[in-house]
Amino acid sequence: MQGLLPYVVRRLLWAPVILLAVSFIAFTITRFGPGDPVRVAMGQYSDPAALERVRHEEGLDKPLLQQYGIYLKNLAQGHLGESFTYRNRDVAEVIFPKIWVSARLGLVAMLIVFAIGVPLGVFAALKQGTWSDPFSIGILLFFQSVPVVVSVPLMLLVFVLKLHWLPAAGWGGVFDSRIVMPALAISLPGIAVVARLTRATTLSVLREDYVRTARAKGLREFTVVTRHVVRNSLLPLVTIIGISLATLVEGAFFAEYLLGVPGIGQFAVKSVQGRDYNVILALVLILTTTFIIANIIIDIAYTIIDPRVRYERQRLG
Amino acid sequence: MAVAGEVEFDSERPSRGPLALATRRLLRKKIAVAALVFIGAFYFCGLFAPVVAPHSYTAQNLDTVNQGPSLSHPFGTDSLGRDMLSRVIWASRTTVVVTVATLLTGGLVLAVGLGLLAGYAGGKVDTAIMRVGDVFFALPGLPMLIMVNATLGARIRGMGWLVAIEKALRIEGFPDYVVVFGALSLFAWVGGARVIRSQVLALRETEYVTAARAMGASTWRIISRHLLPNVSNIVIVGLSTSLGAIAGTEIALSWLGVGVQPPTPSFGPMLFEGGSIRTLQANPHLLLVPGVIVAGLMFSFNLLGDALTDVLTPHAR
Amino acid sequence: MKRFLAVAALLLGVVTAAGIVACGGGSEDTGGGGAAASGSTLRMVGGDPLTLDPAIVTDADSASYIVEIYSGLVTIDKDLKLAPDIAKSWDVSPDGKTYTFHLRDDVVFQATYRQVTASDFKYSMERAADPKTASTVAEAYLGDIVGAKDMINGTASQISGIEVVDDFTLRITIDAPKPYFLAKMACPTAFVVDKTQIEADQRNWTRRPHGTGPFLVKEWKLGESLTLQANERYYGGAPSVKTVKFVLSGGSQLTMYEDDEVDVAGVSINDIDRALDPNDPLHSEYLSADTMSTYYLGFNTQKPPFDDPKVRQAFGLAVDREKIVEVVLKDMVPVAHSIMPPGLPGYNPNATAGTYDPEKAKQLLAESKYGGPSGLPKITLSQVGVGATAGDDIQAMVEMWKQNLGVEVEIQQTDQATFWQDLDKRSYQIFAAGWVMDYPDPEDILDILFNSKSQQNSTGYSNAEVDQLLMQARTEQDSTKRMSLYQQVEQLILADMAWLPLYYDRDHVVVKPYVKNFMLPPIVTPYLRYVTIEQ
Repeated sequence: MQGLLPYVVRRLLWAPVILLAVSFIAFTITRFGPGDPVRVAMGQYSDPAALERVRHEEGLDKPLLQQYGIYLKNLAQGHLGESFTYRNRDVAEVIFPKIWVSARLGLVAMLIVFAIGVPLGVFAALKQGTWSDPFSIGILLFFQSVPVVVSVPLMLLVFVLKLHWLPAAGWGGVFDSRIVMPALAISLPGIAVVARLTRATTLSVLREDYVRTARAKGLREFTVVTRHVVRNSLLPLVTIIGISLATLVEGAFFAEYLLGVPGIGQFAVKSVQGRDYNVILALVLILTTTFIIANIIIDIAYTIIDPRVRYERQRLG
Repeated sequence: MAVAGEVEFDSERPSRGPLALATRRLLRKKIAVAALVFIGAFYFCGLFAPVVAPHSYTAQNLDTVNQGPSLSHPFGTDSLGRDMLSRVIWASRTTVVVTVATLLTGGLVLAVGLGLLAGYAGGKVDTAIMRVGDVFFALPGLPMLIMVNATLGARIRGMGWLVAIEKALRIEGFPDYVVVFGALSLFAWVGGARVIRSQVLALRETEYVTAARAMGASTWRIISRHLLPNVSNIVIVGLSTSLGAIAGTEIALSWLGVGVQPPTPSFGPMLFEGGSIRTLQANPHLLLVPGVIVAGLMFSFNLLGDALTDVLTPHAR
Repeated sequence: MKRFLAVAALLLGVVTAAGIVACGGGSEDTGGGGAAASGSTLRMVGGDPLTLDPAIVTDADSASYIVEIYSGLVTIDKDLKLAPDIAKSWDVSPDGKTYTFHLRDDVVFQATYRQVTASDFKYSMERAADPKTASTVAEAYLGDIVGAKDMINGTASQISGIEVVDDFTLRITIDAPKPYFLAKMACPTAFVVDKTQIEADQRNWTRRPHGTGPFLVKEWKLGESLTLQANERYYGGAPSVKTVKFVLSGGSQLTMYEDDEVDVAGVSINDIDRALDPNDPLHSEYLSADTMSTYYLGFNTQKPPFDDPKVRQAFGLAVDREKIVEVVLKDMVPVAHSIMPPGLPGYNPNATAGTYDPEKAKQLLAESKYGGPSGLPKITLSQVGVGATAGDDIQAMVEMWKQNLGVEVEIQQTDQATFWQDLDKRSYQIFAAGWVMDYPDPEDILDILFNSKSQQNSTGYSNAEVDQLLMQARTEQDSTKRMSLYQQVEQLILADMAWLPLYYDRDHVVVKPYVKNFMLPPIVTPYLRYVTIEQ
């Protein structure tokens, strides 16, 4: 673990620089777009005088860099600004409940992905040679390929309208049945990925250790196999967590939209279209920060799991 | 990603041998062939859409709306009486254009080009490219794409010279395509560049390259003769696996309304129209036709990617 | 090492589970699900309110809640007539410029039961005009009051034209004898708000505002749900329904209705067949009503090729609106033949924009100064796009222009922000939009949109005769004469085809049989207090 601490420190020091760059990019992109939140808020009544007056009141007529400076100053004090969509509401109070909803949905989906994916993968590996191996992999691959925007309406049709097993829309927290549909829809592609990966690693492990452990008896063989399987598949699985997160976030967008889940997905699109600058910036910053932290954690996990990985100057990527 | 372990390093003909070998092995896998056939058919339709499609994307007939499959309309008609078969063919053109364009710019030019540059040149150039890459990598993909398309998209679409090219090359929707594949390339090049760079870094110190440099070979010669062939396997695998993601992202963006705009055809809006639960009950073919085709395409991309990985990087199973 | 991993994993799992449990319980319910229909709770699907501050509200969704929570001097009743609200009567001076309102003495603010007096009204309107409030509509609704514009511009600290005569008498002076002034007073910008509450809590008062209307806010979860509770001290009598819960977060309304999660649901185009089918159980629960709004195509009269009226007329006559409404929109909306929608005072059932005539359209195009389809520049139609598709109806129209006139029109779908900006800059050629009436007076549509000096004249329409008639109508006191002036204006505009009116709007809902006296107001006015629920 020699170079780990300085490595982490270096990464953490870089993070604010990256965040700054990201915030600046997001700041300018939104303001480059035509229109502004005040005009959107005005709706069908257009009065240039009123527009100018309110824009001035909100500080939108100042030069770009000055606006950015003011934003940074507020950010340093912990203020994310006010939303333009929901007038006079703090961005924080607008988006945090939504982020919390999406986060829980994402976590449940992740749990499903691993809870179903890993055993499925092991099963497929054990059944290699029989028809159930390529068959199950094929099915999984197909599920991975169906886009969320297709699978959700189909699931709605089958599970809600035809079978009446599940409620139609809305959100009631994690233990409410309304989470089943969106969580399932989002996790399907991930299950396939994890299962295939688990299968691959299980296969390689079985191949390696099988001869030796064949001599062990009963329980011990089982324990040895599972222990080795776990250690060897942890590394790629940890990588997969990172990728899965991204896929989950993207899938969540559409699932939320289609199933009426009050998460961050459809609100993000709405904010972009409404040019709600402060909300957009906050979202970008939060997502980026999460991403950076997640990556650092994954990298740390790498070292813990595989001591051969070293973090020195030459670390690639 | 592992390095291709069996490159025969022939300085006269660096890459013809293993490539032909790989192709032969690929073709021996039946699944891969099936996938290739589907993809080939899809891309054929996309390229030759004006010739293959019986009707235009917009030709409507208000007397024959929402019909199921029939002789005159093998895939039925939609809510405006437009022929679904034709619409699917035209939509495949958008997918083809966007995937190819993104691969070329984001993949080849940006990822491979910058990766090669960073790896080979080293030093300040390397750091600069990697830092910039860090920023782009940290940006949350989907929200950024939505933002860019929603805000800058309108401006870019209006640019005079893009419209002029559209007219000259007779590609309808050219500015739309530029916006979409431009944004996609911009946010997707980093991963590939990093991989290529690490490859180059490893290769740079091999005897072949050191010897070549000692003999006074020009940078270009080194890159094209020694580096490129060795990264080409990774490039091919990477490109083929990302085809699916690129196509999927375009469809997702267009589904949200921030990708290509009507009347430019795309699977996104078709899936959107067909996906409303009520439409699905009444006219399931409106979702199923584009849905099955898109799922099939993704499935084929995944199968192909798998097969290519098997064939080109034999130790990675 | 392995033990460390195991422990870490266990901890992570425990923490996650604890976090989920901690926030999983509690009231998170966004659907009406759980609470079955009871004698006093109404569950509906509602639009997401962006604000509950009447001084700054601009969108219809937010306004629909505001009119239930707050009230003002006057209101629009169920028959679309101006009716007394907090002002039980009023006198108008002979010159038509001074209104003296006599207020009720039994109106109290919710929660605190503080009595409402004339000075509360002065405070509320001045607050709306205060630049710090950043209201974008202060000029539109209060601008006629003497001194209002000065306060809005920041050159005055109060509105001189509003005078508190005594606790229950309010006098307002306007700048000209405008008959439509009272109608504007029925709009949220003129509603009364609680000064004590606002001064005590500037930031958060709108979460549980102290209005004066029939309902108060019990709970508001942004983007999820809004629950209203009956105001027992409402001066018009406490409403029969005690709780109204709105689901805000989207999802299929009809599916929720059929699942018994809501009591009222909108019917979309995909389901209208079922609602109209006499054999379908939904049919007996189906209700529809026209809203006072007109959906139209606007032509930019200042930009080629629509600077030539013959081109506009050609485009107008080439669209078979009846067919589009019948096939594409499944007859869900009535075809529009006039600018002023039905129900509006001044509506003229005989107004006409011409009938579908593709031959004549072709001929007109040939007669225009462009000589025919080949002489036309590239034409783009701008529309606000929500989601992935340009409306089917617009796509159908574009095809009709192609088939009947040989002209290719490109649809440019933009998001709201871009659309409004293009409109303001008059940089489009054709645009598709709707205009929703805010108060039932023709001034709110004909003057605002077609007066050549108006900022909102997005078609750039300029007709001296129309301008003169509009000016006359502004202060014409005889209402019959006034309406006929507006009707003349409308016919002139239609003959010039500055607009092609497409359709009026219509609401479609299904209502559970145990919900009685439910209505769909054509304009935003309170109606929930008339609803009763039978068990």
